Amino acid sequence: MTHEVLSHDPVAVEPLLELDAHPECGGLALFVGTVRDHHEGRAVRHLKYTAHEPLAAKIIREVEHVTRERYGVPYIRIVHRLGDLAIGDIAIVCVVRAPHRAEAFDACRYAVDAVKHGAPIWKEEFYTDGSSAFVEGCCIRDDLEEDAPAVHRHHSHTSHG
Amino acid sequence: MTPIVFELFANLERLAGAKECRLDAVDDVATIGDALALLARERPELAGSLDRCACVSGDAIVRRADAVPSDGRIALLPPVAGG
Repeated sequence: MTHEVLSHDPVAVEPLLELDAHPECGGLALFVGTVRDHHEGRAVRHLKYTAHEPLAAKIIREVEHVTRERYGVPYIRIVHRLGDLAIGDIAIVCVVRAPHRAEAFDACRYAVDAVKHGAPIWKEEFYTDGSSAFVEGCCIRDDLEEDAPAVHRHHSHTSHG
Repeated sequence: MTPIVFELFANLERLAGAKECRLDAVDDVATIGDALALLARERPELAGSLDRCACVSGDAIVRRADAVPSDGRIALLPPVAGG
């Protein structure tokens, strides 16, 4: 069954938990990313997420699949919000159910990082001074080293956590 | 030959002031890389941003060495920043 991985409407966490549906699971790891009121020293008033929706949905589903296989977890749900968001709104939810906590934590972290670094979603921040900017992110070209210096590929991810 | 239409996202859309950019004179354009080189000449305001873009046809990433898709549509995806 396919489910929604991109949402233009506010995301509710509770329905994603499936607390009663996995009796073999003793662990639930949950990451909820919310909109922060600052970025690199600038005050953020609100933001907008846009996406290449067909590819973003495909990549998020692939991340769910790879995470299930790699960590042996029976259940993972990822939902990323699109559109206009206010400070404190939910941007991304990742839920993992697992028999034990270790694989739940590991799988949840892996999945969120994989979405942030691979799904074509862009964050446009609107600042209190009236300006706006797209947050600098990760290049998702997969043929960069064939015809261009690889310098751009190995940048730090610390600025967009 | 079918014109090539680049679909623009995020800062590329902002730089171009449009969601799409169409190239009509595409007789010598065989690959995605050729198309990007032509785009860089025609739209110099975009040229500096193209190296870090992924190219997409439908829901699949395509490479610079691949042929231009038969429908002539190429989405240009700048570096991503979700989450």
